[in-house]
Amino acid sequence: MSFLTIPKAAPFTEEDIEALNRVVGTATPVQRAWLAGFLAGIEQAQPSDQPSVQPAAPPQAAEPLTIVYATESGNSEKLANDAAKLARKQGLKPTVIDMADLELATLAKAKRLIVIAATWGEGEPPARAARAYAELMGENAPKLDGVEFGVLALGDSAYADFCTIGQKIDARLEALGGKRVVDRVDCDLDFEKPAGEWTDKALKALAPPEVARGTVIAVDFGSRQQAAADTGPVEAEVSEWINLNSSRSDKETIHLELAFDGAAPAYKPGDSLDLYPENDPAYVDDLLRAAGLVSDEALRAELIKSRDVTTFSRKTLEAYAAITGYSYLKALAGSEKAKAWIAGRQLIDLVGHFPMSLSAEQLRGLTRPLAPRAYSIASSRREVGEEAHLLVSAVRYESFGRARRGVASNFVADRLKKGARVKVKLKPNKHFALPAPDRDIIMVGPGTGVAPYRAFVQERRASGATGKNWLFFGDRHFTHDFLYQLEWQDALKDGALARMDVAFSRDTPQKIYVQDKMWERRRDLVEWLDNGAYFYVCGDAKAMAKDVRTTLARAIADVKGVSPEVAAQAVAKLETERRYLQDVY
Amino acid sequence: MAKDTKDLSRNEAIKEASAYLRGTLAEGVADEITGGISEDDQQLVKFHGMYLQDDRDLRAERSKKKMEKAFAFMLRVRIPGGVLTPAQWLALDEVARLYGNRTLRVTTRQTIQLHGVIKSNLKTTLKEIDQAALDTLAACGDVNRNVMCDPNPYQSRAHAAAQALAKSVSEHLLPRTPAYREIWLDGEKIAGGEEEVTEPIYGKTYLPRKFKIVVAVPPSNDVDVFAHDLGFIAIVDGDGEIGGWNVTVGGGMGMTHGEPDTYPRTADVMGFCRTGDVLAVAEAVVTVQRDWGDRSNRKHARLKYTIEDKGLDAFRAEVERRGGVKLGAPKPFSFTSTGDRLGWTEGEDGNHHLTLFVENGRIGNHPGAAHLDGYRKLAESHKGDFRLTPNQNVIVANVAPEERPAVEAIVAEFGLDQNLSGLRRNSMACVALPTCGLALAESERYLPDLITALEERLEAHGLAQDDIVIRMTGCPNGCARPYLSEIGLVGKGPGRYNLYLGGAVDGSRLSKLYAEDLEHEGIIKTLDPMFAAYARFRGNGEPFSEFLLRMSFIAPTGNGRDFHANTGPQQPVI
Ligand code: SRM
Ligand SMILES: Cc1cc2nc3c(=O)[nH]c(=O)nc-3n(C[C@H](O)[C@H](O)[C@H](O)COP(=O)(O)OP(=O)(O)OC[C@H]3O[C@@H](n4cnc5c(N)ncnc54)[C@H](O)[C@@H]3O)c2cc1C
Ligand SMILES: Cc1cc2nc3c(=O)[nH]c(=O)nc-3n(C[C@H](O)[C@H](O)[C@H](O)COP(=O)(O)O)c2cc1C
Ligand code: SF4
Repeated sequence: MSFLTIPKAAPFTEEDIEALNRVVGTATPVQRAWLAGFLAGIEQAQPSDQPSVQPAAPPQAAEPLTIVYATESGNSEKLANDAAKLARKQGLKPTVIDMADLELATLAKAKRLIVIAATWGEGEPPARAARAYAELMGENAPKLDGVEFGVLALGDSAYADFCTIGQKIDARLEALGGKRVVDRVDCDLDFEKPAGEWTDKALKALAPPEVARGTVIAVDFGSRQQAAADTGPVEAEVSEWINLNSSRSDKETIHLELAFDGAAPAYKPGDSLDLYPENDPAYVDDLLRAAGLVSDEALRAELIKSRDVTTFSRKTLEAYAAITGYSYLKALAGSEKAKAWIAGRQLIDLVGHFPMSLSAEQLRGLTRPLAPRAYSIASSRREVGEEAHLLVSAVRYESFGRARRGVASNFVADRLKKGARVKVKLKPNKHFALPAPDRDIIMVGPGTGVAPYRAFVQERRASGATGKNWLFFGDRHFTHDFLYQLEWQDALKDGALARMDVAFSRDTPQKIYVQDKMWERRRDLVEWLDNGAYFYVCGDAKAMAKDVRTTLARAIADVKGVSPEVAAQAVAKLETERRYLQDVY
Repeated sequence: MAKDTKDLSRNEAIKEASAYLRGTLAEGVADEITGGISEDDQQLVKFHGMYLQDDRDLRAERSKKKMEKAFAFMLRVRIPGGVLTPAQWLALDEVARLYGNRTLRVTTRQTIQLHGVIKSNLKTTLKEIDQAALDTLAACGDVNRNVMCDPNPYQSRAHAAAQALAKSVSEHLLPRTPAYREIWLDGEKIAGGEEEVTEPIYGKTYLPRKFKIVVAVPPSNDVDVFAHDLGFIAIVDGDGEIGGWNVTVGGGMGMTHGEPDTYPRTADVMGFCRTGDVLAVAEAVVTVQRDWGDRSNRKHARLKYTIEDKGLDAFRAEVERRGGVKLGAPKPFSFTSTGDRLGWTEGEDGNHHLTLFVENGRIGNHPGAAHLDGYRKLAESHKGDFRLTPNQNVIVANVAPEERPAVEAIVAEFGLDQNLSGLRRNSMACVALPTCGLALAESERYLPDLITALEERLEAHGLAQDDIVIRMTGCPNGCARPYLSEIGLVGKGPGRYNLYLGGAVDGSRLSKLYAEDLEHEGIIKTLDPMFAAYARFRGNGEPFSEFLLRMSFIAPTGNGRDFHANTGPQQPVI
């Protein structure tokens, strides 16, 4: 592109366009970049609560860039914001949109589009992005002719449907007429580096150097990047460790109290902590034995501390087949059957069934960095001071004749005792925060889903919030699995809880779940919602969150005598009003 | 009603305020966040046949785990005379599996208890029990409890009459309050009516204390007639027909360690009455106790203390006045034993009956011993009935001769019939830990092991097959009637027992404290020389207890008041 012209459609009079073309059209890249920076600077200097400028809105200094993210746990959102900062520096005018709020028409008007999307459940979109996602995939999606786009996919290669949502969005944008200017990258849990690299590349492709290079001249009047909320991992000491389930329970749920050397991370109710686990040494020893590496102490220590040695994906299968040359594995890796074979297996199964003397480098190459696990914070700093409490359920199951133990949860349950130290990092979640103190809240949280509500109730009690709090809790057995029972009893007595309903699934022949209790109480539930109550769901994403949502819609339909469609819309409306909030996993 | 000037016990106020046993039970049951109910309701719920208990094995860990006690209810079914149809057995089996702790517990008073029913399942359980034409009303509480009756099936005609009597007495003395139906079965609410209408026999405050009635048919005294407040002893004529009943009053077992004012007492024979007068007599005994019983001190409130305090003659006179019945002089009778005849017997009517030993009454499924399944299988095909015995055993009754092989096959398949030593087949233990809130020591969970250890000694002395009655309880309340056994062991503290010896095998004489605070080894060491001496020096057919008295190992007990006298080892002849 040698000669840049202001498009006729630009929001200027014809004379102005001509005048601008005279100056801008002939400007050198350096001049253009300076101008871009200058105008961007003016823009940024506007009071910040002004609604951010829409692509089709009044004069714009910089080229617009739309960044859409679909997130559940905030990773995509953080990356979207990082990309926006960088884009701004490069002279673009980014608009960041949560897919939850996305009007598809916006996409059609976008010139440049970045989508950062996580995959959840079993290959599903993040819950609050589901509506827009469905519209995008649906027949009525708008044409996107000429929209330049790039997609960054977030996922976890431990799942069979690795990054499928990003993949599907990528394909769909193209099918709708969009022009892919940068190839998609599928990020695993250690997404920081690849995501950063992709963002650089994408911005370059979307805002070619002729447009953007000038930014190297430090003309950015604009606010520099916001102080990172991100504080990095900190160490904490386990000051209390209690298995809340009775000794007769078939579950183990650990109440963990963490004390910090100085101030606790500045968490709010609804936030989580990322916990950095270590692997089970016995598992690592099995793996080393199978790989003929028992005597490598350094490797052993490294694997225990910092490598993901359990996850087993197609990538691992392919790599292992290549290293070992097992023809069976090679055939398997290339076949339809790979997915089924991988499901329920771990790296140890592969190396154990097909043993081979590996080098340390080869074994390391089969693993990825050990990722932290998120745990909802179950305390309020107003009540516990410089501590944070977590509620961790030990993940244990059997598959292919082997007892499996989830890495982080069993690190907590089996090896993290009182007095031990552990690394954690704050993982804020502003989408699961408490409303104004005078609003009522309804909290649905079976199992460990109840953790953030302990924080909510503590916070609201300590702050004297006047809104009423209603908790739905459930687990297997009343007698053996009623987590925090005594605390809830106290909260009901002192008013911090206005109501509590419980569902224990294994006390009766017919299983009863929280949604059954919601149904029983539907009249009151709808009345609370009509009075403006906020509705929270936390815990299991696979079944519970969906059942709760369906039940709420059924309840509204029944109580108000409206059709299922109208009721479903009412729930969707709650969601867009940010009164239906989910933190599910 | 004559009120004492002394302060009434707390329970009296609770009953008075309860609006005929309603209290706040309905609200308490609806509260899902606690497995318990209020203190006052805990007293009231007993009248409905339930106890709030908690699993004592779990107590230590609960509050640390931020959980309340592991609450659950014990339900005691009212089964007059212990007779159940197979359908009723199946219904109880079903609720035990679904809502209870997967065991049925045959009690020392011919009922079945369910343990471990959590509050949220109470109503469902009671509804299912109701569907089987059973209830738990008045199985506990300050009312007349389940009426026992000798289940003896081989004297078919006498048994039928005795059983009919037990049932009619039970019905007659049942509380009339609609509270049970209202709270548990979602029955219609009936506004609190007039006292005379609602509870013509009991009144608002019911009885001062629990009240127990039994019906005995000599020569068997399996119901332990002398252990109960009121008893009727069948006087059977030469044709096997019942001519009338001797009436006994003032028996009871319970006492408290270290409180000599409390003691077990064998009942007195008060007189004789005709069958037609039984209900009038029973009602009169109940109302005299209602008015004369001590409502200020629950440890002194049973009929046995009323009789001690007022005298038998005064009591009899008042009963005769109120009942409008003149009691005759007691007729002669004689009992042989308090035990069960295990194995097959044939009744007068040609039907067969199989009495099966159930260790301490607990029927459950254990590895290699799926007894609960076995009884269920029996109930699925059995056409007669089941009878629970006062010795915590089960009779598969009224098996037609041609059905007998089928029954035998199931019994063999599930090992319901065991080879037992003379000691074990005469053993009983109360429930105690972990459910009983009053237990001081283990009982049901320990006696089997103690017996195994004692069997080894008995075997050594050649006594393995001799009948010796042994009974254990986890506290001095005496639920397994230990003071009426040859060897009684009564819990004192964890792993420690008081040893009582010398109770008569026909149930007519109490035992005597021999040694205190014995532990496992101590019990064996104390009994072993007595077994040795018994093996060498006993007379022909002489029971162990009679031998101990004859040889002066211990002093005899005449009746309640001398129970605490002359305790401890005496100077044996040898
Ligand atoms: C299940 C049973 C023992 C057994 O192993 O079978 C039993 C179990 C209990 N008895 Fe009993 N008693 C049982 C027969 C007896 C007997 C024997 C009898 O009646 O032939 C006695 C002695 C006779 C008597 O009443 O004097 C008996 C005298 C007591 C006492 C002492 C009463 C007294 O006045 O001295 C108590 C405590 C009390 O009432 O305060 C008691 C209290 C209890 C309680 C309910 C404990 C409580 O009050 O919290 C026990 C429940 C334990 C559990 O977890 O199940 N139980 N109890 C018997 C149920 C009978 C039934 O089906 O109705
Ligand atoms: C925002 C957020 C908040 C969270 N809050 C909490 C919380 O408060 N408390 C809490 O306990 N957890 C919480 N989690 C979940 C937590 O982060 C971990 O995922 C969980 O503890 C398991 O981690 P792990 O390392 O023990 O198991 P991993 O080693 O990661 O193993 C888990 C994997 O095992 C496999 N698996 C598990 N069960 C079975 C089964 N039955 N059959 C076959 N395969 C199976 C699955 O592939 C699963 O992904 C939260 C998650 C998120 C995202
Ligand atoms: C419960 C759960 C289910 C998930 N399911 C998938 C999946 O099916 N496929 C996938 O690629 N990643 C899956 N992931 C991984 C997430 O996509 C990954 O953690 C991502 O970084 C989350 O991004 P977000 O914070 O923007 O939501 C899952 C994660 C969790 C906790
Ligand atoms: S005797 Fe004592 S320990 Fe045994 S069941 Fe009765 S009250 Fe409980």
